[in-house]
Amino acid sequence: MSEPPCTPPPPAQSGPATESSPRGKHAFVTVGSTRFDALVHALQTDAVLAALHKRGISSLTVQGGEAVKEFSPEQLQAITASGSQYEIDVEAWAYKPTLQEDYERADLVISHAGSGTILDVLRLRKPLIVVPNSSLLDNHQQELADALADLGHLKTCTTDTLAQTIESLDISSLVPFPQFDGSRFREMLDDEMGYPPDESPD
Amino acid sequence: MALGLFSSFLSACLVFILWRVSYVALGRKSQPRRTRRRSDCSHLAVFLGSGGHTSEALTLLSALDFNRYSPRTYIISAGDNLSTSKAIALELSKAAGSAAHSGKNRCYTIMTIPRARQVHQPLYTTPVTAIQSLLACLYHVTVLPIATRTSFADVLVLNGPGTCFVLCLAVAINRIMGLPSPRLVYVESFARVRSLSISGKLLRPLVDRFVVQWPGLLRHYRRGEYLGWLV
Repeated sequence: MSEPPCTPPPPAQSGPATESSPRGKHAFVTVGSTRFDALVHALQTDAVLAALHKRGISSLTVQGGEAVKEFSPEQLQAITASGSQYEIDVEAWAYKPTLQEDYERADLVISHAGSGTILDVLRLRKPLIVVPNSSLLDNHQQELADALADLGHLKTCTTDTLAQTIESLDISSLVPFPQFDGSRFREMLDDEMGYPPDESPD
Repeated sequence: MALGLFSSFLSACLVFILWRVSYVALGRKSQPRRTRRRSDCSHLAVFLGSGGHTSEALTLLSALDFNRYSPRTYIISAGDNLSTSKAIALELSKAAGSAAHSGKNRCYTIMTIPRARQVHQPLYTTPVTAIQSLLACLYHVTVLPIATRTSFADVLVLNGPGTCFVLCLAVAINRIMGLPSPRLVYVESFARVRSLSISGKLLRPLVDRFVVQWPGLLRHYRRGEYLGWLV
């Protein structure tokens, strides 16, 4: 399943050295396994790249699915070039075998609304912007993103409002997501199976 | 005379079946729940429905004491190799975490059943594949336990999608026939916030425990419980 990065080697850095400014932050974007070309295309717009630049993002990894597979070498070159205009190294993948390392490395994650991705990223306490895929028929993904946004755990937006959302994101206002707690399921199942509760004598 | 005997036999059968069906469908409480001692083992079966369903089911299982819930049977749709490797990965990590324990807690099997319906399969061919799937489930849940005088499992954990309904039907048939059957526990996905999934709606009347992870999902229903986020 793993594929090499589709980008040519990143171009030489232009502009000021990285250590002298609050730069050097990394953003990771994932569309999951379904097509979400609108998000991949939004990442190539000046507005979104400028917003990432303003946040101090200097490298961007995109897991873009089929859309990336279909890019011609010239298109990929153009994407890298537009990134370097904003001092951002762009790396595009169609799929990756595991995204955990990318989540861990990222200072900002932008993702589709898949529940597995949302849980993985929030558990790492990474700032998360969720862009629900409006072309999917079933909108329950949108419901999950909205519900978690209402609770303050993440931000949600559309591909059209992505640039503003990146720019206005206040990371300190995000509510930390609780860590995994398996005790309620365990207690429910033990009860269903007729086991005595943990603290009571046998 | 023979005809009369035959028809009364038929009607007796019919009354028996109706009585059993109503017993299973309405009288769930009449099936007494066994009490177990702390040291007793339970055979746990879980259906891994691929993708997010598999991840959530295995996260739920990761919270359990594998010495207590032993052995374990992972039921996987044909061709779903990713779920198989994820199940094995959970078993390995659990075994690594409890190296001091005896070997009995490492006992698990992977059982494969045909899918009731493939993704993108045309609707009109679904009955054929669904029946194939039901027959396979009946073989594992009903026929094999009778033939080998064992039970299928003590508890079956389900969280969707489609094929788990077929599995649930096989268990319901056991109950109708008065055969041993596992407790049925359904956990609705973390992703379902405002409405139940189709499998949730189908299984809710059939299962012993119906659990959801968001409040408000049960406002139209009497049965079921909200336990908060479980994954």
